[in-house]
Amino acid sequence: MNPQLWAVAVAGVVVLAAAVLELIRSTRARRAALICEGAPSTEPYILYFTGDGCTVCRTHQEPALAKLSGVRIDKVDAIAQRDLAESFHVYTLPTTVVMCTNGKALYVNYGYASARKLEGQLADARSGLGATATA
Amino acid sequence: MSSALQTVDHSALKVNQTGIIVTVLVAVIGSAFFTPLIWLIPLLAIVLLLGTFVPQLALFKQLYFQVLKPRGIVKPRPVQDRPEPHNFAQGLGGVFLAVASVLLLPFEIAGLALALLVAVLAFVNLAFGYCLGCQIYFQLGKRGLIRA
Repeated sequence: MNPQLWAVAVAGVVVLAAAVLELIRSTRARRAALICEGAPSTEPYILYFTGDGCTVCRTHQEPALAKLSGVRIDKVDAIAQRDLAESFHVYTLPTTVVMCTNGKALYVNYGYASARKLEGQLADARSGLGATATA
Repeated sequence: MSSALQTVDHSALKVNQTGIIVTVLVAVIGSAFFTPLIWLIPLLAIVLLLGTFVPQLALFKQLYFQVLKPRGIVKPRPVQDRPEPHNFAQGLGGVFLAVASVLLLPFEIAGLALALLVAVLAFVNLAFGYCLGCQIYFQLGKRGLIRA
């Protein structure tokens, strides 16, 4: 096998290993974050973690959140409110957390989440799935 | 921490990332058939490092500003953003390609693999908007290691 193919194989293994490690980390973080609690509310709401340097937040996440009509969105500066961000294991911006009426996190999305995805998660939260999902 | 926002044309960044990906792929794949193409890797390292410190010498960005944008081939996408993290990411890419260039002599596979990883990260930025170099910049800034 020539050096180019070996190099592709080596780079591929590194990328694959990084992807697997990231998958394990985000799965663990998601599970841990689901234990977290916020303030109870009459309607499900979204905690939106963002920061000054987050370009995707402005170019993608905020337009997606703007499409959700009548939903309470609590914008959180992940740098300024570090404790809250760490309690939800937020190491990626943007992060959106769909909160149930009982104040428990139902879904945690690390990275960009589309309006469609969030609408589906909010529908789950409204249907009372959260009461069993985080029990 | 300074958070002064300026307008950054993200199309220029995308052209830069595309340039990196194409150059590395041409160097890696092309060198299998025509060995001197391997020199594109150190050349790209020089281009990226020069462009980091002297923006007028940023080859791909100048290609965008002087050719692609005026002719309407690529449309501008101005975004309120900070240019420093992107410059840092470009410089980091340049440093890694410089290391790859050095590695090419004794360990060709390692050098090519490192260059490919730079291209993969440029692709991740281009396709998914995730800039690892920017992330490193903010983390270093948060720890007070650089003035971010």
